[in-house]
Amino acid sequence: MKIKKDEVGWLLLFIAPTLILFTLFFILPILFLLASSFTNWDGIDAEFVGFENYIKLFNKKSFVRAITNNLYWCITAALITVPLGLIIALLLSHRSRGWKVFRTVLFVPQVVSSAAIAMLWAAVFNAEYGLLNFILDNIGLSDYKNHNWLGNVRTANAALIGFSLCYVGYFMVIMLAKTASISEDYYDAAKIDGASQIQKDFYITAPLIKSTFFLCIILAVIFNLRQFEYVYLMTAGGPANKTQVLVVYIWNELTVQRLGRGSAAGVIMIALGAMLLLLLRRILKSETYN
Amino acid sequence: MTKDHSLNFYSIFKWVIIISFVVYAVFPFLWLVLASLKTNAELLDNPFKLPKVFQFQNYSNAIKEAGLIQLIINSLVISTCATFLNILFASMCAFAIARHIFWWKNVLFLMITAGILVPLNALIIPYYAIINFLNLYDTRFGLILVYCAVGLPVSTFILTEFFKGIPKEIEEASYLDGCNFVARYFRIMLPLALPGLATAGTFQFILCWNEFIYAMLLTSSTEIRTIQFGISYFTNEFFSDYVGMFAAVVVSILPSITVFILFQERVITGLTAGSVKG
Repeated sequence: MKIKKDEVGWLLLFIAPTLILFTLFFILPILFLLASSFTNWDGIDAEFVGFENYIKLFNKKSFVRAITNNLYWCITAALITVPLGLIIALLLSHRSRGWKVFRTVLFVPQVVSSAAIAMLWAAVFNAEYGLLNFILDNIGLSDYKNHNWLGNVRTANAALIGFSLCYVGYFMVIMLAKTASISEDYYDAAKIDGASQIQKDFYITAPLIKSTFFLCIILAVIFNLRQFEYVYLMTAGGPANKTQVLVVYIWNELTVQRLGRGSAAGVIMIALGAMLLLLLRRILKSETYN
Repeated sequence: MTKDHSLNFYSIFKWVIIISFVVYAVFPFLWLVLASLKTNAELLDNPFKLPKVFQFQNYSNAIKEAGLIQLIINSLVISTCATFLNILFASMCAFAIARHIFWWKNVLFLMITAGILVPLNALIIPYYAIINFLNLYDTRFGLILVYCAVGLPVSTFILTEFFKGIPKEIEEASYLDGCNFVARYFRIMLPLALPGLATAGTFQFILCWNEFIYAMLLTSSTEIRTIQFGISYFTNEFFSDYVGMFAAVVVSILPSITVFILFQERVITGLTAGSVKG
């Protein structure tokens, strides 16, 4: 609708709250982050130090480890969690028996807060009373009796990655919703041609939900880049910085008031996110944005 | 389409996969509930054995000692206010963008929705500084403002798409009848957009209820602490009282699970809508 002259004021008034908050909590923080990353700001004084923060960060083993760990999380999600979600979505597609119940049940971890999930799984991995050790012990793998999964340098990352598979349901639900929009005609035609169920799933459904699959990969990468609660509450980045991730690293810098250094880490994280998105868009040929 | 009920290799494979993931997703929760009803000594025993006596006092202890009721009320107040403000602001902006023609509207829409892709946790240091600068550190309002703001890109996106889908004839008729800008928004568009408002509102509410890092960053006193930050204290406070911690975690997830089971369809659309289109 064209705007009448006397309504321009109202229009601006309607946009203003969102625009002000967006400026205050999106644009300003990014500029602020960029500016303070070139200083040695400690909460009181700030002096310009050039690229010193960045150079120091990249010379820190724990920081480089944080970046690689974040990339591990992203790659696992993109190569394991999302494809598993796709397989389950295919299996449950065209209203297969009990699909609604399974969808509900698999979606539960998404509804529960990540803080609660982190505490729950920390308990599962616990050395003394953990569920995992009990199960392993009972199926004969008693080497792992009283093994501290999250406290051991060798198994901490594997445990965290294994835990992250419980989010498979979220991606499954997104892709399942897409399969519901596929016309039945395709399947009827395939049936006449004598296609089996597995052929229908993998030759009709899978290609038609490709764009949603790519979208899920992008979502998974964003989620895993910014994740914080799991690592913070389950291992706090330990043992020996083995499970460190970027946001936990920034948090630690914040708590010791090395705000300039933390800001530089934040800038690197945002740049990494932008690079990953551009890379994915190129790999996935912008099919998600049609 | 007739269904094939025969047991072939494919359907066995299918059920094995589905059941194993169901177990993976839900089994830890069931174990947690069972463990929260045991004594600390029984916990170290067989995890599948039922407790001799169901220890319901674990719950009353956790609720009393950790002030869970206060934590839940705080979360409820903060999440409700933030969701209300978020939906009000986002729907106003979405109405302006979706139903009117002005030259910078596409730029505005693109800029706001690009906010969805920003990994916001990278910005904890500026958020801390800004909230301190506004003198809102350790206040409910500070947290409400931040929650409202971080959800704006997704809400504005969902609502703009929704407003675009409403036939423009209704609005034009009311326009000719002399309805002004504000009346068109409140009387015509909002009632028609109720499903969209509910979707965006559900997403926003769950986001606020489950939020952890800003609650830890921007508040310090117990009176305004939210439930998610509150339960994380159990890892220190109770030390060896694991069952107390389990009881607290169960209490903290009960509201989310209840809401989810009651409003399944709404929650699933709410939590996936912002992403499916975004």
